[in-house]
Amino acid sequence: MTETTSVRTSAGFTYARTYLTRLIILVCALSGLGAMYFTSPQVSGVANELQLWNTAAATWTLFVGIITLSRRYVVSIINRRTYWPYMTYAIVLTPLWVIMGVYAGVYSDLYQTAFLSTKVTLHIAILGQLVYFLLSGSYRVLRMKSFRTALYAFFALTMVVVNSSWMLAIFPQVDKLGYWLLNNPAMAMQRTLTISGAIGGVILSMRILMGLERGSLRATEGA
Amino acid sequence: MAKIPELKSQYIWLVVLLVYISTGAFTLNAPFQMSQATVDAYNYVESLKPGSICVLGGGNVFAFDLESSAGQIAAIKQIARKGLRLVEFPTGVEGIMFHRYCIDAARVDEKYGGPWKYGRDYVLLPYVPGGTIAVVAFLTDVHALISTDLFGTPIKQVPLMNEMHSYKDIALWFMPHWAAETYSPYIIGERGVPLLFFAQASNYVTAAVYMNIYPDKMWVTNGFLGGAQYEKLVGSPGLGQSAVDGYTILSGAFLGFVLLGNMTLLSDVRRKEKVEVKQ
Amino acid sequence: MISTDPWVWISAFLTICSFSLLYGDNPLFRIAEYTFTSTVVANSVVTSIPTLRDRFMPLFNGTKPWFIIPLALGIMSLFVVWRKYAWVASFPYALFLGVNTGISMRGAVGTTIIGNIRAVMQEGAAILIGSPTDQLGYVVRIVFTVSGMIYLFFTLFLKGSLAKPMGYVRTFGKYAWLVFMAIMIGNGVQQYSGLATSAMNRLIRTWLGF
Repeated sequence: MTETTSVRTSAGFTYARTYLTRLIILVCALSGLGAMYFTSPQVSGVANELQLWNTAAATWTLFVGIITLSRRYVVSIINRRTYWPYMTYAIVLTPLWVIMGVYAGVYSDLYQTAFLSTKVTLHIAILGQLVYFLLSGSYRVLRMKSFRTALYAFFALTMVVVNSSWMLAIFPQVDKLGYWLLNNPAMAMQRTLTISGAIGGVILSMRILMGLERGSLRATEGA
Repeated sequence: MAKIPELKSQYIWLVVLLVYISTGAFTLNAPFQMSQATVDAYNYVESLKPGSICVLGGGNVFAFDLESSAGQIAAIKQIARKGLRLVEFPTGVEGIMFHRYCIDAARVDEKYGGPWKYGRDYVLLPYVPGGTIAVVAFLTDVHALISTDLFGTPIKQVPLMNEMHSYKDIALWFMPHWAAETYSPYIIGERGVPLLFFAQASNYVTAAVYMNIYPDKMWVTNGFLGGAQYEKLVGSPGLGQSAVDGYTILSGAFLGFVLLGNMTLLSDVRRKEKVEVKQ
Repeated sequence: MISTDPWVWISAFLTICSFSLLYGDNPLFRIAEYTFTSTVVANSVVTSIPTLRDRFMPLFNGTKPWFIIPLALGIMSLFVVWRKYAWVASFPYALFLGVNTGISMRGAVGTTIIGNIRAVMQEGAAILIGSPTDQLGYVVRIVFTVSGMIYLFFTLFLKGSLAKPMGYVRTFGKYAWLVFMAIMIGNGVQQYSGLATSAMNRLIRTWLGF
């Protein structure tokens, strides 16, 4: 194959790849929309089948984490980068955990206990630590240096206090204030965020359907 | 006013540690306020007919969902007492473990002396990836989406699943996870299934937007406090009450440190003013 | 009385390792960190076994032989980790993107945009109905929503006669955002406090037996 033919074949292959992915996106998106807005059992059937295909194919992405982690850690261990002994420990622990889980079963008491005692315990402890940083950060940040900071500090402190039990003894109506703040000013601003995000999402979806969001699927890379 | 020195963060952390050690060692049973939204949610569950099928669906991160588990475990006790049934449908990887944890913690299975039997009164389904897509497919046709339960038994051999085919068979959807705002348009908006969301505190306001859109079909509780409220209504204090105890003292410490910080700022400002005047 | 369950001891050890970060970075914290990473990743693999069995049961028992297509697409999705062959993963990701786009557009338009606008209009109609706190609440909701949207969308400075009034509205919207963030932070403290309580209770009550 000459160089020109090779370049033409590669360009043609890239062209086919790009437009095939766009076609897949268009068909899948229109099936989802069509199932909602058209009372056609055939369209609903196609949409439902594509959703089942999606859930089936997406299961394989559960392996992406272990592949990525293994590649990164093995390279770091070989090159003796920072924390390489801990990465060695992780590389040994991961397959042992997988063997234990597959042998015992994800639904077994052993696996449930092991998971709760390790991963869940660690995650709760890590998140629980944040309250320490929250308190020390609040001590420094919630200071009334200007109107803005005073406003911020006032409302943050109010929310913390109205949720507490001891305030109930002093002002029995304080719980209504807390829910009023959450359900009115806070909910209104969250609604603004939600509407703005939805408008952005719809515009992005339309750009994807029109093929204007290029490159995100890497269809034009490699080969 | 004498200058108040800035506290080092380590001293603040030490105080917080002492707060939690004291609440761990001593049970306060601190009182707390009741929310009308929680009462409405409880009353709706009480109004469901025995034999109705509820779904415990969704699933994200176990550690965050622990906050929701306070109310969810109490709700499971309530529905077991009322003779309702439960299908557990995890759409997060850790949802399997979390849903099982809720069932075990509620002690409703017959192995703990409870009224429920697996397969007849509750079913654990396997994780289905896809998030929103999984939920939409589940609501459309359960048997097309799910082939086996978590233990590998074909669902046609599970008695409860023979009565569960689509959203029409669902009386109430429990959501003890993050994603109520993502799923509620499809659960409530498109199919009219009521939803009870045991929200995490940081997610309450996000869900309140949808509670406002569907006022008679969506109820949201507020974090550990909401969980404690639901536990009180059901009559079984647990994690929610413990969290309220810890928060009772922590909120006082929070107020104290913020006031101290502002007094430090004030003393610093006054000292600088005096220096400027002298100059 | 102190617990004799080895899992409780492992749990207590890992909790202490995690909290040791408050003292400073140390080997115990690193052990906890890498244990966390390993168990998360390994759990994904363990969960995949019953999930794959359930997802592809129609293929295994012959009821849906065309499920060979999502099987192939799923395996292709793993190529995303190799830069040279990442384009192979573009086809399954096109499927994920397409199905998600169609479904999310439904929810975004039907509920999030139209539902919220309808809610604002209903609140406008109910301003004079109900108790004073309810009426005040409806007014606050409408004013905050409108000013917040103006602040977000009209980031370009307007000129002409509308500039000054819009400037005031934008300033009010800015302070409304500040109030919102403050309320969120204040309400969120109970979340992290509860998790810290749970962690400490595991140490003090479950492990040490107080």
